[in-house]
Amino acid sequence: MILFEEVSKIYADNQVALNKVDFHLKQGEMAFLTGHSGSGKSTLLKLVSLMERPTTGRIVLNGNDISHIKGNDIPYLRRHIGMIFQDHRLLMNRTVLENVGLPLLIEGYSRYEIKRRSLSALEKVGLSGKENSFPIHLSGGEQQRVGIARAIINQPPLLLADEPTGNLDPKLSLEILSLFESLNEFGMSVLIATHDLGLIAKMRYRTLTLREGEMINDGLLRERNEY
Amino acid sequence: MSINMEGNKKLSGSPRINKVSLIGRIKSSLGQHTRQLTASFTELWKTPFATVMTILVLGIALSLPTVFHVLYKNVERVSGQWDSASEISLFLKKDISEERVQVLINKLSLYKDIETVTYISRHQALEEFKEMSGFSKALNYLDENPLPAVLVVIPVKSAMNTAGSKLLVAKLEREQDIDLVRVDIDWIEKLQAIFYLVVDIVIGIAALLLLSVLLIVSNTIRLNILNQRSEIEVLKLVGATNSFIQLPYIYIGAWYGFLGGLIAWLFTFILVLWLQSGVMSLTGVYQVQFEIISLNFQESATLLGVGALLGFIASFISVKQYLVKIEPK
Repeated sequence: MILFEEVSKIYADNQVALNKVDFHLKQGEMAFLTGHSGSGKSTLLKLVSLMERPTTGRIVLNGNDISHIKGNDIPYLRRHIGMIFQDHRLLMNRTVLENVGLPLLIEGYSRYEIKRRSLSALEKVGLSGKENSFPIHLSGGEQQRVGIARAIINQPPLLLADEPTGNLDPKLSLEILSLFESLNEFGMSVLIATHDLGLIAKMRYRTLTLREGEMINDGLLRERNEY
Repeated sequence: MSINMEGNKKLSGSPRINKVSLIGRIKSSLGQHTRQLTASFTELWKTPFATVMTILVLGIALSLPTVFHVLYKNVERVSGQWDSASEISLFLKKDISEERVQVLINKLSLYKDIETVTYISRHQALEEFKEMSGFSKALNYLDENPLPAVLVVIPVKSAMNTAGSKLLVAKLEREQDIDLVRVDIDWIEKLQAIFYLVVDIVIGIAALLLLSVLLIVSNTIRLNILNQRSEIEVLKLVGATNSFIQLPYIYIGAWYGFLGGLIAWLFTFILVLWLQSGVMSLTGVYQVQFEIISLNFQESATLLGVGALLGFIASFISVKQYLVKIEPK
């Protein structure tokens, strides 16, 4: 699903965000990506979601080498990645239903189909009845679930989550993660960037650990202080 | 919290490609354009005050060239009526005999471009002058009649225009017995020269005003794009293409131009109504019937079309300049 081969990312101010990172996330696999602030977690997710380009190395997504992909092809590739953000990135002037249906609107689905699938996605994340609310009137956890509903509405084969539980209480964090597990059971590959080691320890999934741009661990996290 | 995917199917890793027929794609594209056209109109009225202000400014900028056009059209109608030499005066040599005058009249009557020839003898000319000037007593003291005999020639219709009358004048000037040929067309030519100069100036001003329409719409769209930067970033993150994102902005620009054109049409219509009574009372003094004509259907449609096109071009420029450069961070 995702293959990184000696991928480095150096920003314009010579800051090395990633240094020769290798890893392979298989189809249908769920993994955590962890590390301190500034370790390169967000840069890695940005490289997968084509918000950044690698300085060197090769990134393969779904069998397509995306290291030098043309700008015009990026939107079409992004349609196969569900993205969830810590700050939710919802459109505050649109209703929950409109937010969730955005990916389908972009793909040219009919209004009826958009509504039907949006309601179904909201039901999956436990937000039935909130479709006509505006995100501003929802709690942080509910906003996060709207973001998840939007990310999964077109059933992408890959789900990327950047600190999805960052602003949530422990109970809600576990709920969100169990939601990811359910999605993973249906074959969706899931990569979750988080620095919540307690949560990672509870879930017992493969964990990629980054430190100062380098991959220092790839496997189950044994100790809380491993990084 | 458990989850059921659509149809409970396991997801495949490879991208799903939905094969859509050409007709299906055209239908979908038309549907999207129609949706965006109506949605962009609704979007305009989410900020009614700003929208009305922008449309009014565009309306004023577009109404000036429109009013110039209406004035030009009407002035051209008036000057078209003047653009003719309805009468040519031929001043004959003083020593010409009555017999030779008759020969000349007969000769001129045979000209294809002359309709009628009227003879005014020297005596008749003096009598007319006495009557008109009011100096009849003073003129009685003259030793001889200073006025020449005159032939008043009225050309046929086809020779009444500037070029035709010039040709006829050249022919008449070659006649030996004619001392001076006088056509009252010089002042019309001078007036026309001034008129065309004014037209050139007006075209320049109109071009500047149309340019200002481009700049106003372009700047409004630029501000819209910058205000909605985060929304554009989100749209790009969920897979929207540039053309999908830019469509509403382009339609909004076209709506601005179209509505500006509508306001310009309204302004012009009101102005023509307002001028109508003044022009009628002025022409009434000269006992002439003249009515200002406003824009016809074709011109009105052109005005709306030009407004929409200018808005479209302006927003397209803005979108290419700013929207394309916004990338999610």
